[in-house]
Amino acid sequence: MRRHLLSSTIVLVAGSLAPLSAQAPVTAKPAPAAKAWTMPRTPDGKPDLQGVYSNATTVPVARPAYLGAKEFYTDEADKVASAAAAPGRGGRGAAAAPARAAAAADPEGAGLAVHYDTSQFGLGGPTVKRAASLRTSIITGPEGRVPALTPEAAKAAADRRAFQQEHQWDSAQTRPIAERCITWGFEGPPMMPVGYNSTLQIVQGQGYVGIVQEMIHDTRVIPTDGRAHGPASIRPWMGDSVGHWEGDTLVVETVNFEPRTPFQQNPFSDAAKVTERFTRVDADTVQYQFTVDDAKTWVKPFSGEYNMVHIDGAVYEYACHEGNYGMANNLSGARATEKK
Amino acid sequence: MRNKLAVVLAGAGLMLAVAPIRAHHAFAAEFDEKRPLKLKGVVTRWELVNPHSWIHLDVKGADGKVTPWMVEGGSPNSLFRNGFTKESLPEGTEILVEGYQAKDGANRAVGANLTYAKDGKRLFMGGSAPGAGGDSK
Amino acid sequence: MQIQLGKAQGRLGNWLLVAMAGTALLSLSVIPSPAQAPYKAPKTKDGKPNLNGIWQAMNEANWDIRPHGASQGPVYSLGAAYSVPAGLGVVEGGEIPYKPEAAAKQKQNYTDRLKLDPEIKCYMGGVPRSTYMPYPFQIIQGASNIMIAYEFAGAVRVVNMGAPTKAPADSWMGWSNGKWEGDSLVIDVTSLNDQTWFDRAGNWHSDALHVVERYTPIGPDALQYEATIDDPKVFTRQWKISMPLYRRLEKNAQLLEYKCVEFSEEVLYGHLRKQPLKGDSK
Repeated sequence: MRRHLLSSTIVLVAGSLAPLSAQAPVTAKPAPAAKAWTMPRTPDGKPDLQGVYSNATTVPVARPAYLGAKEFYTDEADKVASAAAAPGRGGRGAAAAPARAAAAADPEGAGLAVHYDTSQFGLGGPTVKRAASLRTSIITGPEGRVPALTPEAAKAAADRRAFQQEHQWDSAQTRPIAERCITWGFEGPPMMPVGYNSTLQIVQGQGYVGIVQEMIHDTRVIPTDGRAHGPASIRPWMGDSVGHWEGDTLVVETVNFEPRTPFQQNPFSDAAKVTERFTRVDADTVQYQFTVDDAKTWVKPFSGEYNMVHIDGAVYEYACHEGNYGMANNLSGARATEKK
Repeated sequence: MRNKLAVVLAGAGLMLAVAPIRAHHAFAAEFDEKRPLKLKGVVTRWELVNPHSWIHLDVKGADGKVTPWMVEGGSPNSLFRNGFTKESLPEGTEILVEGYQAKDGANRAVGANLTYAKDGKRLFMGGSAPGAGGDSK
Repeated sequence: MQIQLGKAQGRLGNWLLVAMAGTALLSLSVIPSPAQAPYKAPKTKDGKPNLNGIWQAMNEANWDIRPHGASQGPVYSLGAAYSVPAGLGVVEGGEIPYKPEAAAKQKQNYTDRLKLDPEIKCYMGGVPRSTYMPYPFQIIQGASNIMIAYEFAGAVRVVNMGAPTKAPADSWMGWSNGKWEGDSLVIDVTSLNDQTWFDRAGNWHSDALHVVERYTPIGPDALQYEATIDDPKVFTRQWKISMPLYRRLEKNAQLLEYKCVEFSEEVLYGHLRKQPLKGDSK
């Protein structure tokens, strides 16, 4: 039986950099809603998944090694205590909390000096709404991390790194896919939380589910009639998605990825298959589960889960390519540096 | 008390899930840590674009000559979600920029720290009161 | 009109009856124009006209929205494959009412179109151009929001069907508030930036552009699309474009991804390469 985390209670903690001891008390594990909730439905009787959502999260993709096989914290206090006691780079105890908080508040810069202060623009900071979660990682299971690469994929990754050392500033085409504004690497599928603007909108209409992901202005149009996939010669960056309903869960299968689509720092192969499951669990929350099966890239399939939570407002346009001054500026800077 | 208040998790003590998106933008190539600068200028245009917003300002030099600069900032989308609009940084506002200049020597910089000249308060979410403007919802 | 059979009896009366019946038959056989007998679209389960589907314009508007003859394209090596076919135009009245200095700018845009046309750079087409670029788009019709997904550059609009809201800033695809008027979907589009064109001929607008679109079913597989254009900085008056949109009827019709960024990188950044590319194509 699937365990799903009701996130009808989401915790408010005042202040972005308050020391741990001064935090307002946090509620323990989420409890079921006080009154019965019925699944809202679209006019054709299907579950209504529509809305604008945040899928931002503080749950890491991969479980920190020191947590071993622990898939869930027992409660918020356990989570806080674990973070404080984390060994290694995270720093020990409360003394490291400000550094971690600063890093958390500056998701893009991670303290790089030559950068704008992300907190000034509200990016990834305390005003972002996130579903409560006691998971220790988005990747589920006892390992809680993406499996090892196959030998071929590991070699390809090493070749890529070697190439980048020599050629990374040669042209736009040698820059990372995200820097080129082709795809951010988080749209998937599977759709992954992003460091900021982690927002998406779902619209349903007669046999289709449309999903707009703000980062980076990517749209998925998913038929829900379980039809056959398109020809294998057509390889979208976001793959070829077909959905069908299993009870009240939308199941989406995606194949035929463009074999450069990045996922967790590795491109999908042409054999990659992703399965997603969308289930509304309460008025504000849609549970999102995924499985990645790409035998050419990772030695075994792996799965993940998180909840997305309804937010007011809209998805705002993120016209990445149209505003990409950075590409020209970077290449210009590289050419100027070479001249010196 | 159970309620459906929309609430947020603070960043304190909790690392964000995803690795910093450094790959998206190689700052080391665009701006030069060996060229720190301070600019004081008057806003002529606020370009609310992605992946980075740009503040255009006229900077008057000691010789009285006015030079146009452009200063890189963050994605404006979170600002919108916090109630800021294109009216939130009007033309004519005087600001101070601490940042780093472009590697290719152009009149372009990244704004590591942006404040209002008149009261030293940080722009946008960095400490000044959020802008009122517009019904963003 | 009452027929007083009593008075019309007799041969004259019969002639009258036959003549009237004949006229009635004739008028029944005339195909009603949309103005006289509008097509009634089937409704969605929540009672709204059903605009769900994959649609596409079939005209030459993306080349030039005005009536125009055939002409040489801007890339000689592409010859007749990329020259301009004639088009009847989609501008009602045929003329775009530019202010004089704005008309001059259009001519300059045309001259420099290879450098300036945002389509070449894979920039989103904006509104209304995205509607009639030569690619399909899809309407996914929810009750409180209607999504319009375009193939070109993955552009998308989500039309708010509730109480109208305001945009915090300009964007390429604008901010869309929609409502129903009879069988027509009426969309008020504001906060468009000034970066898009109306076509490949350099017809342009400012950031004051305000578009009101109407999508009206005129048959089971066709919509009439009308867009009223307002831009007091550029035009002397309001003007309008109008065209049918046709349903893509292939059994497996679907929107295909056209992520064209990588096809525009040489144009945009080729001059910043470490080593120039040899030849005209990879």
